[in-house]
Amino acid sequence: GSKHATTPADNYYLARRRTLQVVVSSLLTEAGFESAEKAAVETLTEMLQSYISEIGRSAKAYCEHTARTQPTLSDIVVTLVEMGFNVETLPAYAKRSQRMVITAPPVTNQPVTPKALTAGQNKPHPSHIPGHFPEFPDPHTYIKTPTYREPVSDYQVLREKAASQRRDVERALTRFMAKTGETQSLFKDDVSTFPLIAARPFTVPYLTALLPSELEMQQMEETDSSEQDDQPDTENLPLHMSTDDSGPEKENASVLQQNTSLSGSRNGEDNVIDNPYLRPVKKPKIRRKK
Amino acid sequence: RMNRKKGDKGFESPRPYKFTTHQVVCINNINFQRKSVVGYVELTIFPTVANLNRIKLNSKQCRIYRVRVNDLEAAFIYNDPTLEVCHHESKQRNLNYFSNAYAAAVSAVDPDAGNGELCIKVPSELWKHVDELKVLKVHINFSLDQPKGGLHFVVPNMEGSMAERGAHVFSCGYQNSTRFWFPCVDSYSELCTWKLEYTVDAAMVAVSNGDLVETVYTHDMRKKTFHYMLTIPTAASNISLAIGPFEILVDPYMHEVTHFCLPQLLPLLKHTTSYLHEVFEFYEEILTCRYPYSCFKTVFIDEAYVEVAAYASMSIFSTNLLHSAMIIDETPLTRRCLAQALAQQFFGCFISRMSWSDEWVLKGISGYIYGLWMKKTFGVNEYRHWIKQELDQIVAYELKTGGVLLHPIFGGGKEKDNPASHLHFSIKHPHTLSWEYYTMFQCKAHLVMRLIENRISMEFMLQVFNKLLSLASTASSQKFQSHMWSQMLVSTSGFLKSISNVSGKDIQPLIKQWVDQSGVVKFYGSFAFNRKRNVLELEIKQDYTSPGTQKYVGPLKVTVQELDGSFNHTLQIEENSLKHDIPCHSKSRRNKKKKIPLMNGEEVDMDLSAMDADSPLLWIRIDPDMSVLRKVEFEQSDFMWQYQLRYERDVVAQEEAILALEKFPTPASRLALTDILEQEQCFYRVRMMACFCLAKIANSMVSTWTGPPAMKSLFTRMFCCKTCPNIVKTNNFMNFQSYFLQKTMPVAMALLRDVHNLCPKEVLMFILDLIKYNDNRKNKFSDNYYRAELIDALANSVTPAVSVNNEVRTLDNLNPDVRLILEEITRFLNMEKLLPSYRHTITVSCLKAIRVLQKNGHVPSDPSLFKSYAEYGHFIDVRIAALEAVVDYTK
Repeated sequence: GSKHATTPADNYYLARRRTLQVVVSSLLTEAGFESAEKAAVETLTEMLQSYISEIGRSAKAYCEHTARTQPTLSDIVVTLVEMGFNVETLPAYAKRSQRMVITAPPVTNQPVTPKALTAGQNKPHPSHIPGHFPEFPDPHTYIKTPTYREPVSDYQVLREKAASQRRDVERALTRFMAKTGETQSLFKDDVSTFPLIAARPFTVPYLTALLPSELEMQQMEETDSSEQDDQPDTENLPLHMSTDDSGPEKENASVLQQNTSLSGSRNGEDNVIDNPYLRPVKKPKIRRKK
Repeated sequence: RMNRKKGDKGFESPRPYKFTTHQVVCINNINFQRKSVVGYVELTIFPTVANLNRIKLNSKQCRIYRVRVNDLEAAFIYNDPTLEVCHHESKQRNLNYFSNAYAAAVSAVDPDAGNGELCIKVPSELWKHVDELKVLKVHINFSLDQPKGGLHFVVPNMEGSMAERGAHVFSCGYQNSTRFWFPCVDSYSELCTWKLEYTVDAAMVAVSNGDLVETVYTHDMRKKTFHYMLTIPTAASNISLAIGPFEILVDPYMHEVTHFCLPQLLPLLKHTTSYLHEVFEFYEEILTCRYPYSCFKTVFIDEAYVEVAAYASMSIFSTNLLHSAMIIDETPLTRRCLAQALAQQFFGCFISRMSWSDEWVLKGISGYIYGLWMKKTFGVNEYRHWIKQELDQIVAYELKTGGVLLHPIFGGGKEKDNPASHLHFSIKHPHTLSWEYYTMFQCKAHLVMRLIENRISMEFMLQVFNKLLSLASTASSQKFQSHMWSQMLVSTSGFLKSISNVSGKDIQPLIKQWVDQSGVVKFYGSFAFNRKRNVLELEIKQDYTSPGTQKYVGPLKVTVQELDGSFNHTLQIEENSLKHDIPCHSKSRRNKKKKIPLMNGEEVDMDLSAMDADSPLLWIRIDPDMSVLRKVEFEQSDFMWQYQLRYERDVVAQEEAILALEKFPTPASRLALTDILEQEQCFYRVRMMACFCLAKIANSMVSTWTGPPAMKSLFTRMFCCKTCPNIVKTNNFMNFQSYFLQKTMPVAMALLRDVHNLCPKEVLMFILDLIKYNDNRKNKFSDNYYRAELIDALANSVTPAVSVNNEVRTLDNLNPDVRLILEEITRFLNMEKLLPSYRHTITVSCLKAIRVLQKNGHVPSDPSLFKSYAEYGHFIDVRIAALEAVVDYTK
């Protein structure tokens, strides 16, 4: 089922259609018609196409039913029988004297599958893989070639590289941000040489000012793991400063969780801490005097 | 039974009634959207005289709906004279007139004079009841809309419920300002017990004074009511409240201590408060007294009025004190705030004051014990440095503005009796003071406590505090006997009596000098060595005629470091004697090479070639223990200051020597400073100070200076790679002393100037390289303060632009060095938008640097950038920096 465009598949479809039309027309001529309405030819073409398609579909089904992938003659025969066609009449019909021979349609620009860039030889299937499985992809998609370039060990070069790399990234990033958003400038006549990303007020300014950034968090974890520090709290730091997912219930739940875990770790005694703020909220009494 | 002295009243309530059992405050509706509060109070009053027919209470900005006395409707008048101080007075538009009118208005509602804004008529039906001195219950319904003070609402403008937005409200204010949010007797001397109830959104927490008895849902289950009970008699002025969607942390070391912070900050809260138990232990130990309340709460809120506010059993802190383990610089500052708050729990909250003129005792004691904590926590060097700093501050203020009087005694209230006529405000009430004056007042109060300690010893001092606390503690457990409760109020006379009982010493002269009169002492000292008599002739003059000074008469310690050792001498400063002969112990020139003994017993080798061959004197110090509130200007030769810097072990002496050496730009001074800078045993603040002095000296010596720019080779040796000295090592701030030095040296170096009065190119390139190669990836700590100081260094390197006939500043004529600086500032400021630094320290430094560039004519002077950063919604430090820049345009 293709739609409306001139893809290679469309071209096929049109050529097949044209050939079938020629066939239908020659059969009509053979049957003695001198002319036919286009709609009639179309209808007959459609019928013929359906019929042939059904033969193909059915033959494929029979073939696969017997666990094969290539249809044999008997598959076709069974199909035709099943479709109520008298197979015996077929040889005679094929050899009838008044039959018209249609020349094969000219082969126009044989559709070649556009050759993907191939690199190297595709690997053949190993013996245990049946041939109908897809071929291996091009080797460059899975083969790696380790390089053995001498690592840069000169400290000065390394530091230099790290520094300029970071500076370039920061510069590019901030310039991009400045280009894509609002800016401020120190010089009225020039906004591009020293573009400053515009100051934008926060709704909750203390959050960004106090919480460590994601990068710092990462760093802290790295240095922590390497230096073995007693700072388990920091793992709980929220990385994102979204305020939308902190409903009151969630808030309380997390608070309680924090506290219980805390009491458990700190005091060897696993007693529940008696703190009035951890006690459950009481249900209202039937009628409290105002 | 009360101790009385002339002019110092014992405690007599100014009101013809007293509180007995307790006061109820119930706030049953808080609307964050409209910023309003609805509630009632119920005061239980006990008449002390017959024919009591009017009750005066304090109330500001509250709308009073209804007043009932013993369930009978009562008439009331509300009048707040401070709302219109000058009554359309058009003729006398001067500060003096305003000041007097304002003091009169504050007096008219002063609870300590029995006054108040709200006057309630006792219904005539109850007069007989009153005459029998029976209890009255006054019930007042009130509401509060958009309060301008006393209660502060923080409501972020965003989507979601109030709890999701992190909206919160808290009480705040200066001195007694509880009347701003509920009617009360807003005095520190009127104590009663309290029942406090707050009905809030179910997602919120209400934190208040005393014990949380229970939390109960309302019938619709959407709200809950927090019931607090405060059984320790407490002044209304020490009542506080904070409501918000707080995260709750029970202190892991002390379960009765609970910490609260705004959503998402819990990890910071955990780290920040993890130290608090040590402060508790310290105070309890030195005071040999348990923390007086049964619980303690800390609440960290946004838009705090002050960084630390102490109230009965709770303290309200600025949320900006919270920090993670990666932050170095904020840690000691925050710990100081915690320790201050806790000291005030004992003296200020639990023990309150009898009257305004006794305030100095509370501030003095809490400041003094906080100082002891500082000494224990940060060491003697830090403590002495701090004391010197505080002393310098109070001296500078008094010399500039006039005296600060700790214990004012007011006569008939006439103008001529005003003990502070040099000031443009009255010191009769806390509310008429200038903020700066009050800060200096607190500073002086704790310094005077230290002077008392010097006089009677720390042991006796702590015994006095313990005595005050135990008396108060006994009194607080007495129920319904409010006359006993006055033991919980401290007065100047009671405190002095206690000192004399405990120590047996007469400190009256000291009190007269520093408490009953204002001013500081200004000494000028110089000396000559009389070789024949082997005597040091010391001349000490005083200036006691300038404003803010006073004459000092009494003992004065002088320490003389001689070749044979260090010797203390106590001089008697008297009216007319300026010259003091001090016999020397050593002969002028020593024969044999011998080590020189110092004050602390240490014996050191010194190169004595610099000293005067005829004199055995190495250096002289006037009042080395800071036993007088004074400023000393002392003259001694440059080599003596150099010896003092190198060999005197007291950090204050070292700092004084550094300050003095600024005037002696010689190679010897340079060497002394460089040696100190390199000495790792030397206190880091002294080394930091030496950096700046070295820069000044280098500039004065610019024409003769040899070698690389000052400090550069030292910095390279300390912080740069061995193999490539132009590249700084990757950051490792484990050693805090090195860290502070690493931060400071570039800032000081940038102040260097060459013969053209420009920052040497070499120095600028050096700083730019520090920025370029800065690498914090392997560091355990954040480098935000370090990077901020590198920007400060860039700003320090800027010198005025050479302007040709006032041309307009454009990019084309931009100085190439400035271009490099601007490049860095632009990148830093932009990176702050993507990866903001802690407290936006880098933005702050960038803004300051931009203002410097503008001021020096490199960049067009345009305040619009600062105006945008000054807007609401930026972090407070950024706004302050931006506003300071904007204000700078007026200078």
